[in-house]
Amino acid sequence: MSAEPVKTLLEKSRPGASGSQITDNDFGEPAVGHYFDASQLRTTAIGLPELTESEIVRHFTALSKLSHGVDNGAYPLGSCTMKYNPKRNDVLAALSGFRNAHPHQPPETLPGLWELYFHLQRYLCEITGMFAASLVPAAGAHGELAGLLMIRAYFEHINQHRPILLITDSAHGTNASSAAMAGFQCWLVPTDPDGLLDMQMLDTMLGESVAGLMMTNPSTLGLFEENILEIADKVHACGGLLYYDGANMNALMGIARPGDMGFDVIHVNTHKTFSTPHGGGGPGAGPVAVNRLLEPFLPGPVIIHNGDAFMPDQDRPHSIGRIKSHHGHVAVLIRAYAYILTMGALGLRQVSENAVLNANYLQARLADMFPPVFNRLCMHETLLSGSRLETETAYFAKKLIDQVLHPPTMVGAGCVYFPGDLKSAMLIEPTETESLDSLDAMIEVFRDVFSECSDGSTDT
Amino acid sequence: MTEPVTPIGYNTHRQSDIRLMLERMNLPDIDALFAAIPAALRLQQPLNLPLPLSEWELAKHVRTLAASNATTETHLSFLGGGAYEHHAPAVIDAIVNRGEFLTAYTPYQPEMSQGLLQALFEFQTLLARLLGKPSVNCSVYDGATAAAESAWMMVSISGKKRIAVAESFWPEWLEVIRTYMRGRDVEVVVIRAREEDGRLDQDGLNQALADGKTAGILVQTPNRFGVIEDIASLSAIAHDHGVLSCISWHPLLTGILKSPGEMGADIVCCEAQSLGIPLSAGGPYLGVIATSQAYEKYLPGRIVGRVFNQQGRELYALVKEEREQHIAREKATSHICSNQALQAIRATLFLALLGETGFARLAALNTEKAHYLARQLTDLPGVELTFRSPFFNEFMLTVPCTTMPLLEKLRSRCIFAGIAVDYPGLDRGRHLLIAVTEVKSRAELDAMVQAFEVVLMETVA
Repeated sequence: MSAEPVKTLLEKSRPGASGSQITDNDFGEPAVGHYFDASQLRTTAIGLPELTESEIVRHFTALSKLSHGVDNGAYPLGSCTMKYNPKRNDVLAALSGFRNAHPHQPPETLPGLWELYFHLQRYLCEITGMFAASLVPAAGAHGELAGLLMIRAYFEHINQHRPILLITDSAHGTNASSAAMAGFQCWLVPTDPDGLLDMQMLDTMLGESVAGLMMTNPSTLGLFEENILEIADKVHACGGLLYYDGANMNALMGIARPGDMGFDVIHVNTHKTFSTPHGGGGPGAGPVAVNRLLEPFLPGPVIIHNGDAFMPDQDRPHSIGRIKSHHGHVAVLIRAYAYILTMGALGLRQVSENAVLNANYLQARLADMFPPVFNRLCMHETLLSGSRLETETAYFAKKLIDQVLHPPTMVGAGCVYFPGDLKSAMLIEPTETESLDSLDAMIEVFRDVFSECSDGSTDT
Repeated sequence: MTEPVTPIGYNTHRQSDIRLMLERMNLPDIDALFAAIPAALRLQQPLNLPLPLSEWELAKHVRTLAASNATTETHLSFLGGGAYEHHAPAVIDAIVNRGEFLTAYTPYQPEMSQGLLQALFEFQTLLARLLGKPSVNCSVYDGATAAAESAWMMVSISGKKRIAVAESFWPEWLEVIRTYMRGRDVEVVVIRAREEDGRLDQDGLNQALADGKTAGILVQTPNRFGVIEDIASLSAIAHDHGVLSCISWHPLLTGILKSPGEMGADIVCCEAQSLGIPLSAGGPYLGVIATSQAYEKYLPGRIVGRVFNQQGRELYALVKEEREQHIAREKATSHICSNQALQAIRATLFLALLGETGFARLAALNTEKAHYLARQLTDLPGVELTFRSPFFNEFMLTVPCTTMPLLEKLRSRCIFAGIAVDYPGLDRGRHLLIAVTEVKSRAELDAMVQAFEVVLMETVA
């Protein structure tokens, strides 16, 4: 990773070179300026680089060598869930029957797409214990926005004014930001000393102006909210709804279901739970699923089985409306579908069991150096304290990188937020696709770097 | 529960591994790991899902589903409406399928992600040139959410909770804008298109902006009729009223026209699917927003910059994160977590491969082929261009019969001839939006004209 910097395309540009052959034997090189308003015609160059195809391939190959993916090695970023992305799913997502279909084709010309969507909706409902689903949200945060807009639409529908949304203080930043976008005011529910939602504070915060509570379970601290049934009762008793941020659903497949816990609306992140590649930031997909009460509010398209055809439901008068230009991230959702069909019920349960096993294994084997912040078994990820480190965690992270190990999630480097005084904590999530050998190798690197940091050698 | 014996799918542990790990942790069995979950919540039977499929069984099943869909390969397609059938050079797939890009996470850890960060930085640089604004984010979900996010930017910048939106936006995008604005109680005022030329009604715009309560205008070009708007005049009107101007732009237009930034737009948003991204029945695509440095703090999405690390070495990193949800939470101006990074790399490759000359040629070919087809079709009796305004690679026809049977008959000849358009003030069921890109040969265009003529005769008669 310490190779020489790569010049940019613009720095390498050789005007007059070409990486494509934009020629046309029928139409030649047409002059088209006369079709437009003269005042709008461009008079200066855009400034795009010009290189040959081979130069461009080498440029991006060089850049790829300065990047790290799950294909390269372990990626134990807590809360990000970087598991292996199956190659067969990439191939299936690129089949011409999907890749070259146009979103404005008449719906009856896309029967295979709707059939796949319909079954994926059903599988997601079965896995999460919900009633109905929409696959259209583009990402987890987009699913949150859709879910919260449904909660809002529901209360508008029953003429209740509930402007407050409760969010756990360990929630992903997107929770608070989604709430703001959906027009809610956020109140943060604190975490108790055991790392769980503070039940007493919840009691004092619930009331008639509260639309609901948004939480992750297992939480971002890697713990199962064991009071969840009581929490659901409390929220429902005051007329509120319970939102499940499915970011950590990968810990629970075949083991427990948010629908059974009392959640009214959920989203899942397909890359975390269903192995779709993260693409260096995206594209993802964030399907939403709801109970019977909220079904009318789902964003379209929702695919129904009508007689013998699968079709988008055209009659959804209470829907929150469109949240995206077309039918969602088809090429991502195909991969999630293929993953579920490869794993089956038992395979998915193994996934969650092994994810939790691996996290606990790391927690146990690293405890002498990095004691767990909450001294108990964790779920799919573990929050470890850096208090015994004699250096800053950032320095520790740099040293891990020198050993070509991607560091875990730390404050300021990742999509999570640690409540309270946990500045030196790190969140590790190995995922189920790391083998025992890989985990042991990871532990070995941690041990080496930890002792290096304890020798007082803080040279750069 | 039945205990699976061998690891299924991508699970790695053998039973012996699991036993060894549990032993080392002094745990009796896997169940002990889930003790925190109340017994009442533990599933007592397996999920009701199909049995696991082998790779060949899965492939056969998914291939069967795929094969039942019509595509641009089974049909001669003139569909557009915001998504276009362009050629994507083979290099693009070859590069973005490299695991270092495809299987990477968001580059929060700069030292591990210099290549990915540089690719995204180069994306921003090239898009800044294409859109004519210096500050570019490295993506939001698609053109529709880019427009909605831009509307919200104008509200945040101005502190006014009303936006004026052209009614000539793609109908689906207008719906997305409305959904987003409803969340934050922003009033959406729509401005009509003029019946004589399909362009935005400037008098209507002036009136809508007169009371000074509007944050900004949001206009799409080419609009839902394929008509190219007069960006410079519209931006000037906005500025006369002291409001912001945001243009939703087709990025290929810069191959011919001045960039929207050059023509006065304060914010430019776009759907960049045309830059090397497959149709994929609607997604994933690529939304982009560009603006001036002054408004950068209102940009949603990530921004990559060049910074110096503690050792004084220059490197690429995510910058200006104080706008983003993971830092600012409920006060964030960026809600984006997963974005469209891989699609942004596709667009960067596309622009690099075409280069200055190739890009201009591509835009010219799109224009010429669309105009060629428009000329041939309007030679047919009763068929005319609805508006005599400039268009790019998509145009609207008025036809002498109802469009739906016409489209259906052409479809039975394996032609997707276009999208039926209805707009208040236009004759209902008489309008057709037709898109033509570089991939159509003259023979294909002529075949379309021939089929169109035959079907038109049948339908009119």
